[in-house]
Amino acid sequence: MLATISSATVLGVEGRPVTVEVHVSSGLPAFTIVGLPDTACREARDRVRAALLSTGLPWPTRRITVNLAPSGVRKVGSGLDLAIAVALLVAQEEVEPAAAAGVGFLGELGLDGALRAVPAMVSLVEALDGAVAVVPAAAAAEARLVAGHEVRPVTHLREVASALMGEEGWPTPPTPPPAPPPPPEPDLADVRGQPVARLALEVAAAGHHHLLMVGPPGSGKTMLARRLPGLLPPLCREHALEATRIHSAAGLPLRADTLLWRPPLRAPHHGASPVSIIGGGTAVMRPGEVSLAHRGVLFLDEMGEFAPQVLDTLRQPLEEGEVRVTRAKATATYPARFLLAGAMNPCPCGEGSVPGACSCSDAARARYRRRLSGPLLDRFDLRVEVLRPEVDDLLRGEPGESSTRVAERVAAARERARHRGVWANAELGAAALDECAPLSDGAALVVEQALRSGRLSARGLQRVRRVALTLADLWGCDGALGSDQVSLALSLRADPVGLSRG
Amino acid sequence: MGEALPPEAHGAALCTLPGMGPARLVAVARAWPDLAEAWGRVLDGRIADEPTVAAALGRSARDLRGRGRPQARRIEPGEVLDRHRSAGGVSASRGAAYPEALAGDVEPPVVLFHRGRPDVLAGPRVAVVGTRDCTGYGRQLARRLGRDLAVAGVRVVSGLALGIDGAAHEGALRVEGGGPPVAVVGSGLDVVYPRAHGALWAQVEETGVVLSEAPLGAAPERWRFPSRNRVVAALADVVVVVESPRRGGSLHTVDAALERDVPVLAVPGPVTSPTSAGCNQLLADAVAGVARDAGDVLSLLGLSQAAVARGGADPRPSPTPDQAAVLDAFGWQPAVLEQLAVRTALGLGTVAEALHALEAAGWVAASGGWYERVARPDR
Repeated sequence: MLATISSATVLGVEGRPVTVEVHVSSGLPAFTIVGLPDTACREARDRVRAALLSTGLPWPTRRITVNLAPSGVRKVGSGLDLAIAVALLVAQEEVEPAAAAGVGFLGELGLDGALRAVPAMVSLVEALDGAVAVVPAAAAAEARLVAGHEVRPVTHLREVASALMGEEGWPTPPTPPPAPPPPPEPDLADVRGQPVARLALEVAAAGHHHLLMVGPPGSGKTMLARRLPGLLPPLCREHALEATRIHSAAGLPLRADTLLWRPPLRAPHHGASPVSIIGGGTAVMRPGEVSLAHRGVLFLDEMGEFAPQVLDTLRQPLEEGEVRVTRAKATATYPARFLLAGAMNPCPCGEGSVPGACSCSDAARARYRRRLSGPLLDRFDLRVEVLRPEVDDLLRGEPGESSTRVAERVAAARERARHRGVWANAELGAAALDECAPLSDGAALVVEQALRSGRLSARGLQRVRRVALTLADLWGCDGALGSDQVSLALSLRADPVGLSRG
Repeated sequence: MGEALPPEAHGAALCTLPGMGPARLVAVARAWPDLAEAWGRVLDGRIADEPTVAAALGRSARDLRGRGRPQARRIEPGEVLDRHRSAGGVSASRGAAYPEALAGDVEPPVVLFHRGRPDVLAGPRVAVVGTRDCTGYGRQLARRLGRDLAVAGVRVVSGLALGIDGAAHEGALRVEGGGPPVAVVGSGLDVVYPRAHGALWAQVEETGVVLSEAPLGAAPERWRFPSRNRVVAALADVVVVVESPRRGGSLHTVDAALERDVPVLAVPGPVTSPTSAGCNQLLADAVAGVARDAGDVLSLLGLSQAAVARGGADPRPSPTPDQAAVLDAFGWQPAVLEQLAVRTALGLGTVAEALHALEAAGWVAASGGWYERVARPDR
């Protein structure tokens, strides 16, 4: 009277295999679930009972014990419902144990026996033991994104039962309609003028350098930042799977038939709480915005309006590429390697870029400045002032270079970085930097002047050299870094007026 | 024992009373020139008996009669004097060691605290004042004016504020053995404000003197600054406004100077620049004379211009053709990299390189991402 069925649960964004063991024995009728189930999982008892009865399948009026092994891993959500129901059928000898061997079951049951989709299907299917995965039809497309499993989409418990009993075959899924093509990404050609901001976007994309844009309202900071993902090269399969897994775990809608090949763009509102940015939560651990932006762009518009403690939580993921969220009940590690793009006004009135045009008091400016801590500001390799475009550019200017052409240069620059053994220049260590980006005599002189004038710190120097190397990559220059590249890199890392004075 | 104390003891004790600012203290001192007597009246609660004093004190008069009395009784003038003497020094308008420059003033500070060497006040003094939110043009000019005046042995008087004030003293301090700097601050002498000028403050104390009407521990409250500006004007033989918007503290200094018949000079600025609007208005109203350089100031003082070193060719290295093109592309307003690139039709890299070289050579000043031309080579 013992049955063993394989299924899976999710921890953070990682799937974990779970074995559902059901033991039915004589005794007073009772139903117990052991093995660290959370509330949703414990309530499976009522859902499974109702689903079996309304499907016309038997429910044993005996003592039932369900064990979710390994017992030490916390099981969350309702994804184990189907596996528990099938295990009960096996334990009552309605289904041959052999029929269910090598098959993993995932999905939530409705009281009428209908199967419902659960989040994190990608990670769950990856973690399944066995070659066949029985999943709710609504999540079949997501489950198919993982190679290596035969996916059996089903809509009702009855279909599962009759297939396992050998009465009917597995239902043949209708071929899904071809997905509509993705909406076109905004094109850089829409941006008129703004040569420095355009260059900064290109450099940010090519070298994975974090970018801060400071400028008055209406200067096009948001417009520019939204065009940044379109310049990034498409994700490789491994990275696409990482990103897809996180989006699936967060329950975000995925495109039906394909992985997340394009780098995602996340733009949380400035009212965001620390937990929504970093991830966590009390009942269910959820990845935060930094993880949803993994391998893509995290765009913080109106950065000065974010709570300072929210901004400072970004420092650890920026440094380490992942976040470790620790709560009383669970600990999870989420990947979070994102390109940070920030936009803000120079001061509360917004006009402080132009010297003398600002109407804010010193105190108001100082308060605004304190929103961005020094260590966070230091992590931006690129800090540029964005001015309102010239009227002539807006009315008569030529459309700018298109995203496609810029993306080609970016891809070529990334290729050169790959030959150095890194994914992008921002990842280069100090030793590697000395080896592959020596300074020419002229460049050394520029650097020396900047260091002596106190405008550049030792740490800033490494960042400026990485940016200069990215510029050389974009321009196709080899050898030592020239003084023009280093000068331009220095200019692209200016202390924005509003943030430096005082 | 109260009789043995010098007047500055009671003056210092009076100004530690709550609500007792420089202007009220002047009113008190006018009513009772003997500060010991004034202090005695505070203890008795009779300080506001005189109508002029009551009017000056306003609502504080009632406080001083009531709650203020027990508070005043706890203040020991002798102890206050010792504390301020050990922190630097103190003088009262009728006491010994009071600066001669202020003795004849229409509204002399009743007590004056100092740190550094008060004897440096003897000699020609020029106030260099201006806005805190200055442009690179103003900063550069203030620095140069400070330097050139110090070379001629003039004491540069200023307020140690951000912007023009600080730049003038920075310039003066660059000259070794030049005119010592004089600063008048609005806070207590142990409250360094603005904090960013801590190092500058210490240097001024070392080579010159820092003065204040506020007792130790007094915060830099807004109402203290207009009276501070009055002291700056009173100390100066000439007031030079380097850069000032249409309204601002520098114009208080100008008003105070005009009341005292102290000549005022203003540095003209671009008519489109809001930070020079105040200066240009002073010139247009013919209230102020023109200050183009230290020579204009010195000739007003009747000092020789020969002391100002201006011999020889410009020591700055002359610009290369690319750098000259960038330098020519500047207007009278600050510009950013991309504006210069558009105007010169040169690449961003070339312009950035030229700008760094021009800045290192001293042709261009940078602030954040903005650049300003501060000089052009002679043709």
